Amino acid sequence: MQDLAPRISAYAAHKLPHAHDVVASDVDRIHGGASRETYRFKLRFREGEREFERRLILRRDPPGSLIETDRAAEFAAYRAFHGSAVPVPEAVWLESDPKWLDHPFFVMEELSGFEASPQAIIAPPYSAHAERTAREKWTILGAIAAADPDKLGVVGLLPAPALPADAWGRELDHWTRVIDEDELAPQPIIRAAIRKLRRAPPPAPKRLHVVHGDYRTGNFLYDKEGGIRGILDWEMAHLGDPLEDLAWSVNRIWCWARDGRVGGLTTKEHAIRVWEAASGLRADPEALRWWELFSSVKAQAIWISGGREYQEGTNKDPVLAFSSIWLTNAQDRCALETLGKLS
Amino acid sequence: MKPEVGKLLEIISGKLLFEIAPTVQPAYRQQSVGLTAMLLGMVREEWDRAAARRVEENAALRAIFGQAAPRIADAGLRGRLEAAAASCDASFLVSELEKSNDALRALLIELQAHVEAESAAWARGVEDEIWRELAKSTERRRFSLAPF
Repeated sequence: MQDLAPRISAYAAHKLPHAHDVVASDVDRIHGGASRETYRFKLRFREGEREFERRLILRRDPPGSLIETDRAAEFAAYRAFHGSAVPVPEAVWLESDPKWLDHPFFVMEELSGFEASPQAIIAPPYSAHAERTAREKWTILGAIAAADPDKLGVVGLLPAPALPADAWGRELDHWTRVIDEDELAPQPIIRAAIRKLRRAPPPAPKRLHVVHGDYRTGNFLYDKEGGIRGILDWEMAHLGDPLEDLAWSVNRIWCWARDGRVGGLTTKEHAIRVWEAASGLRADPEALRWWELFSSVKAQAIWISGGREYQEGTNKDPVLAFSSIWLTNAQDRCALETLGKLS
Repeated sequence: MKPEVGKLLEIISGKLLFEIAPTVQPAYRQQSVGLTAMLLGMVREEWDRAAARRVEENAALRAIFGQAAPRIADAGLRGRLEAAAASCDASFLVSELEKSNDALRALLIELQAHVEAESAAWARGVEDEIWRELAKSTERRRFSLAPF
């Protein structure tokens, strides 16, 4: 791990031509999203007589991952929302040249001192503030939905369908293709779900919205008073239908407390009400159900894909095997429930 | 094999999770050890039922195919259903049972897509039977650790 430190130092010195004594230290790998290797580190440097120390996060492309995505889109999303009502860390550097750290990567600010774990949020002291966390969680998601992609400057940077009416098809085609390519065993429940989704597409959104793509408990930082301090893991951000994010956020698979509270925080109905108030949009129940079923297809594709990476040995991180084995069957049950077929 | 596989995995998993993981640094490796321990816990759960659930499921799928086949007009699909319905598990090696299970579930997808496109009442009956079996299949595969 520490062998990364001098290489990061060299890169940072290259990016900070007016700085001297540029030193990266305390490089520590952390679990942070399944698509990239994530490291925290300290960066110290001097500019003139002034000394600086920054705590930063490095997100590096791995040889294989749960999700194959474009780091430039993730970086663009962080940059677009920084300083807005959607709390995100500052995006610092984006680097596609593998000469620095063997793989492309980006660097962003570390928001330290907060918790992200979905297990911690359902236990004291955090669980006492579930109501506030829930309100903030779906208010922020509403703010993401309400944002104007043109004003954010993300048009052309985030993947997008040609038209709002193509939003569902683009997503469903993409994740179906992932399942086609990566499945290790036939998936009759998810295949039936895909056929049903194609038979009855949802209505098109009036315009294209920013979709976080993985908005769930586990992908945001929260404090001990229940406040949300940072929305992370934008690796699947794109433009599309905002109901996609809402449906994903209330997927049964994230009911970490196993008591029906979505995201381990609140009822699904309350989450939807908060989101509607914040976004100014209405969550049509039929359209939302379409996206809920889609969210099980997408999630299943991610678990399947991680399982293949592990099976083929391209990435031996146990999180891939664990997610695949732990969640594939549970995700099938989520799909069955949405389809009204869970006995 | 004694000590029994289930007991062995239970002990190793517990040691990894409660004794070894807390001593491992940095945090990323500690989490990896914890995940590995939980993986072993799921392997333990699967170990005991691995053959039984596949045998049960393969038989259930063959029964569905046997009932549906006479109604299927498509000769090719009907033939595959009849052949699958008449097949049996010649070996109880989990790897062999798994091969059969994969083939049978692939054929189930084909049958389900076929009957979805049929408007006759018999097709709804087959469809209902398939959904019942798919719901049961998730019960067979369920892990006690699963969030849902």
